[in-house]
Amino acid sequence: MKINITFDTAWEEEFLHRAEEDGPWANWELFKLAVQIDEYLVIPDFEGLQAPKHLPQLKPLPHQLETAKQVVENMNGKAILADEVGLGKTIEAGLILKEYMIRGLVKKVLILVPASLVTQWAFELNTKFHIPAVVQRKSYVWDSCDCIVSSIDTAKRDPHREIIFNQEYDLIIIDEAHKLKNNKTKNYQFAQSLKKKFCLLLTATPIQNKAEEIFHLVSLLKPGHLGNAALFSEKFKGKGRGINDDQHLKELVNTVMIRNRRGDTGIEWTKRIVETIIIEFSPTEQALYDAISQFKPASADGVGSSFSALTLQREACSSREAVYYTLKNMREKNENPAQPFLDVLDHLSVKVNEVERNSKAEKALELIKKIDDKVIIFTEYRATQLYLQWYLKQHGITSVPFRGGFKRGKKDWMKELFQKHTQVLIATEAGGEGINLQFCHHLINFDLPWNPMRLEQRIGRVHRLGQEEDVKIYNFATKNTVEEHILKLLYEKINLFEKVIGELDDILTKLDIGNIEEYLIDVVGASRSEGEMKIKMDSLSSLIQFAEDMKEEESRAATGNS
Amino acid sequence: MQQQEIHNFLITYFQSNNCEVVENQPGYLAVQLTVQMDKELMNRPFYWHYLEKTGGIPNPMSLTLITDPLKAPEDLKGENIHFGSPRLHQIFQSTKKLAGFIRLYEDTKSYSTGQYPLYPWLCLNVKVSYQCDRKKDVFISAGLNLISGEILEDFHHRVLALEVTPKIPDFSFTLSPLIMPKSGLSRLDTFIRRTFEGDDHSWAEEAVKRWDNDLELLEHFYEDMEEKSESYYTEKKALRAQYEPKIDISVVNGGLFYLTDKAV
Repeated sequence: MKINITFDTAWEEEFLHRAEEDGPWANWELFKLAVQIDEYLVIPDFEGLQAPKHLPQLKPLPHQLETAKQVVENMNGKAILADEVGLGKTIEAGLILKEYMIRGLVKKVLILVPASLVTQWAFELNTKFHIPAVVQRKSYVWDSCDCIVSSIDTAKRDPHREIIFNQEYDLIIIDEAHKLKNNKTKNYQFAQSLKKKFCLLLTATPIQNKAEEIFHLVSLLKPGHLGNAALFSEKFKGKGRGINDDQHLKELVNTVMIRNRRGDTGIEWTKRIVETIIIEFSPTEQALYDAISQFKPASADGVGSSFSALTLQREACSSREAVYYTLKNMREKNENPAQPFLDVLDHLSVKVNEVERNSKAEKALELIKKIDDKVIIFTEYRATQLYLQWYLKQHGITSVPFRGGFKRGKKDWMKELFQKHTQVLIATEAGGEGINLQFCHHLINFDLPWNPMRLEQRIGRVHRLGQEEDVKIYNFATKNTVEEHILKLLYEKINLFEKVIGELDDILTKLDIGNIEEYLIDVVGASRSEGEMKIKMDSLSSLIQFAEDMKEEESRAATGNS
Repeated sequence: MQQQEIHNFLITYFQSNNCEVVENQPGYLAVQLTVQMDKELMNRPFYWHYLEKTGGIPNPMSLTLITDPLKAPEDLKGENIHFGSPRLHQIFQSTKKLAGFIRLYEDTKSYSTGQYPLYPWLCLNVKVSYQCDRKKDVFISAGLNLISGEILEDFHHRVLALEVTPKIPDFSFTLSPLIMPKSGLSRLDTFIRRTFEGDDHSWAEEAVKRWDNDLELLEHFYEDMEEKSESYYTEKKALRAQYEPKIDISVVNGGLFYLTDKAV
């Protein structure tokens, strides 16, 4: 067969010129080195991975290497990476990108990620992979840099859009690609218009449930792989069928998608050891809590009232500072307060002032001293955070604060301080794009979030790949309060704390409960009796249990089939 | 490349470029750069521009490179160098740039007395890349005798065994080439192409098969569209870029070698 052959002629011209001019000529030692380098850099085979030997300090896991190999060797560089959460999709994408760069097949790269992840992606590619990825800040970088990380929302807008369409990209990586499941959106159409020589779509959300969504995603990657739109919808539309129902379709999807499951990776996850610590109020704290429980602010509108009452109750379980802060806000917000309302607030303020100690903080201090190692404390409230920092300092324990609102630089700085100098990190917000703290394995939940996903994110900061110790989780709950209800009725019932990373993610996605936190507030706040609340909580936990069983069955079926 | 090889490589590189190696210890080395090498590696054109304008005293930097963090002192400040580090690849690039063209003579100093005629050889070291959606390379070194027209494979490694010198040695004289360098290069080009002509090119056939397959899917996807949308043409172009097999020959370096009769 005829293959196009190109021969670089620049060398020849320069050589003839130098022969004419009698030099300048290179040093023999350097000349030998140059040949030696090329002999080292020669890629001996079409198969296999070169990237690992260029990245001696990166220790990819077996499933990550296997995925990279699969994509390069068998998927021709176009794939959906759909590993379950926490298995390191970014590492897989980085390995593939590096491999193509080493092989000289990829030079221009566009990486589209959610805005909040832009700097982190660029940072990881630079530090872990030595890939000079640049964060898009000015429009001229599109031309001048080879590897760019940007948010899709920026990229799709003018003037960037036009400039991007004029670039010849060799590889396009799209993170959180499940957001592109609808072909009517601007983002989808933008992604479709990009020239995709090689392309990686990353997603953690299981999408195999809806056939149409997967059709659009695959069509973005490889148009026609699942047939055309007309044919596909004829077969699947409106039937609400998942792709698992169709063996042929499933096989087709599997040729462009890799989904590693936690169970298949053979990684030994360290255990989660959960300890619930029930704390008893001091008499003054109890008095404050009781006063709040009787308080029904602005009883005119029902929803708002139960919300604020609950908020105050939860805050009273955390610290008097948190209560004080909310009371202050209530007073300021209400422009024409009725006298009885003000009286109540004053009464509560008096109760706040009477509280002379924080039983939870005392317990935390005792625990931290006993642990004598790095500890992370999570609290829902900033006032509690400040108080704890002050309180610990009084007792000679160093700590750093951490909030979701910190800029990236400050986050990194706080992490560094925590890692190198201080014993405790006090965080208010876990945040999906927070920090990774696998060097620490003690976690105190000073108060509990009412959204299990948030709790999972908290734990996910420490219980992730790279954690070598069992993770100890201490849950604080105050006796005879709403806090104890939530802990007993929800968390302990569904064994939430012992679940493996990401499992809950899948379950909640399946359940389709829009906002679990609101649901809980409704259950606790609107229930007229203890009994009613218990019944509602029971039904929620059995719903979660049901979804979990369903999932297990499904994965059993999946392994049975393949 | 092992860490020790990298270490030796760096020493040779800096010494060949007239930089003083201030320290050469297990696990690390420190070099004082020359003005020229500072410009080559340190990427600070404004400093040099400023200095030349103001006529100040040039102060080229020194570099500490750690080739084995386990052996180097713990508190040592320096750059970690490993096979994938950007600094090493910068030095690789620099080496190739500085060592593209050469002319050498076989050193006849130690031979018994007498006059030695030296035959001109044209040497070409190339990397042949087979490329589709995958890639592999082959290194080829070939030398052409510019008088007899004889071509030898693995030429570079043959020369490695000889003593060579950049100046024509006493009692030696060069023979004038009968083949001019330009036509010599085209002979080598033909020779190199012939080396892989008979090879198994199933890799290319496979790539074309994959290409055709994806093209077929693409056609099918846009089948119902009478007026094909722009994304159709973009995809089609992308498939060509992805799969089209080609062979690329790039020159690593080469030059003229004047060698005695039986040298290679």
